Amino acid sequence: MADEAFESENQKERGKEIMQAILGILLAAILSQNFILVKFCGICPFMGVSRKMDAALGMGMAVTFVMALASAACYWVNALLLVPMQLQYMQTVAFVLVIASIVQVVEMFLKKSVPALYQALGVFLPLITTNCAVLGVVLENVQKEYSFLFSVLNGAAGGLGFTLAIVVFASLRERVNESDCPECFRGYPLTLIAAGLLALAFMGFSGLRV
Amino acid sequence: MNFKKHLYEGLFTKNPVTVQLLGMCSTLAISTSLFNGLGMGLAVTIITICSNVLISALRNVIPNQIRIAAYITIIAGFVTIVDLLLQAYLPALSSSLGIFIPLIVVNCMVLGRAEAFASKHDVLSSALDGLCQGIGYTAALVVVCIIRELLGYGTFGGGLLGPGGAGIRIIPQPYPAMQIALPVGGFLILGFVLAGNQWLMKRLNLKTRKKGAKK
Amino acid sequence: MKVSVLRLALTLLLITSVTAAALAGVNALTGPVIAQRTQEQTQAAIQAVLPGGSDREITDFTDETGLVQRIYAGKQGYAFEVTPKGFDSAVTMMVGIDTQGKVLGIDIISHTETAGLGAVAAADTPVGKAFRQQFAGAGESVMVTKDGGSVDVLTGATVTSRAICTGVNAALACAAGLP
Repeated sequence: MADEAFESENQKERGKEIMQAILGILLAAILSQNFILVKFCGICPFMGVSRKMDAALGMGMAVTFVMALASAACYWVNALLLVPMQLQYMQTVAFVLVIASIVQVVEMFLKKSVPALYQALGVFLPLITTNCAVLGVVLENVQKEYSFLFSVLNGAAGGLGFTLAIVVFASLRERVNESDCPECFRGYPLTLIAAGLLALAFMGFSGLRV
Repeated sequence: MNFKKHLYEGLFTKNPVTVQLLGMCSTLAISTSLFNGLGMGLAVTIITICSNVLISALRNVIPNQIRIAAYITIIAGFVTIVDLLLQAYLPALSSSLGIFIPLIVVNCMVLGRAEAFASKHDVLSSALDGLCQGIGYTAALVVVCIIRELLGYGTFGGGLLGPGGAGIRIIPQPYPAMQIALPVGGFLILGFVLAGNQWLMKRLNLKTRKKGAKK
Repeated sequence: MKVSVLRLALTLLLITSVTAAALAGVNALTGPVIAQRTQEQTQAAIQAVLPGGSDREITDFTDETGLVQRIYAGKQGYAFEVTPKGFDSAVTMMVGIDTQGKVLGIDIISHTETAGLGAVAAADTPVGKAFRQQFAGAGESVMVTKDGGSVDVLTGATVTSRAICTGVNAALACAAGLP
């Protein structure tokens, strides 16, 4: 009887630890270590697609999906192929090819099933392959030696953080683009300064830990 | 194949960072010291030249449907070579640039040049294009680095010059704003540099137009 | 130009194989150099915290914190390689503890802390050295002043300071279990 009580206590403790770890990863990936505003990954689509809110949201969702799927696929490629055969130096090449294939598949899927979104994203959909955030999260998963569950979680959460940043920025940009400013600041300089202030706001999350 | 023309384009009219807005991720992330800037600029230039040359040499052999995958594989190969060489012979730079060395693979500039230029021109022109775009990238990167290091830490030449590689102190200790070396500063400084560049371009155009009008 | 799928796949496979072969070559060339550098770095860190260095590694030890990676034994005591979690990711440090169980010194091997804030803990500046010096002589758990201990935190780097305390405590706890 005492043994059983001890066992369930232990399980509760471990369950609590795992929940804490999961919450920690979520908070870090979405807020305090946001891929765009803190880690500087994914700036190109951030600047390029954030003009209209619905395009931004669509892009965010697509990137989240790719990041989660890529995290899963690359975890297995690494665990089953690269590590056992001591091919760690092939990580960059292998991961980037896996990501390129996933983006190709997502492209074909969207073309058939959600053509409206496919049209809206246009040339930026294949550009997800060169999105630093996707390769960045995959490399980070390997560097921090996350398990499969945590890798996928980190990927999905990173994508959600990306979506958050790009959507918030899209709503900012409409206001920013209509405002008065010196000639030489018009266009991207002003956009970057606005992004800087958004990054400053996100710095407030930097001490957030579980 | 005009070296002067290519160089002028790379530095000013078609600068990958200030005009084409490519490779911004690395420009914003690592531009906190002169050492980082020069190191990253050099690495990207070498990789761009190598991949441009190889892709140009193979441009008639690679089938159209798989060209992006092929380009990415070739670029990833060169990036890994540079990564391993840096880890072995320049470990300080390797740990300073960290994850952004493998991320050169998805640096829009490298793939962009391969797609836009190397796949359509001969080997020598492609090499030249790689060199000039790389020089333009390094120049822009170094400008941002110097400004951020000066305003953020108050030093110049961090990692290279000064006592123990700490850089030559120009602004005394309590004055520099640390935040400029953090993400917010990256965006702000790059925004100002781009604004400055746009202003400069306008002034130069204005001068040539005035000259033309006077004639 | 109509090209069959097989031809496409084979071309891509060929390019990938050549790339892999080239990388294998470069890896064979640089691998030993990289391994040697890591070895030199570890030895330097051991020398910094354990006067007289170490002559053997202890592989049989119990560590409940999960932070102690390796233990090196020398004439003066032991050197513990611990990896507490810092601000962003793990901080790798070496803690030297003498045979009486007192800390001889600490050395930071690698970290990704913020330059100017947490990175000062590893810096060769007077402030950094003074910070690391605080741990010498400690015999029981150390804590930062905010938590009721005696270790002064680095300006703006409470998390890093706490992390280093955690590392030192893990080493001390593990040392208690050794002969």
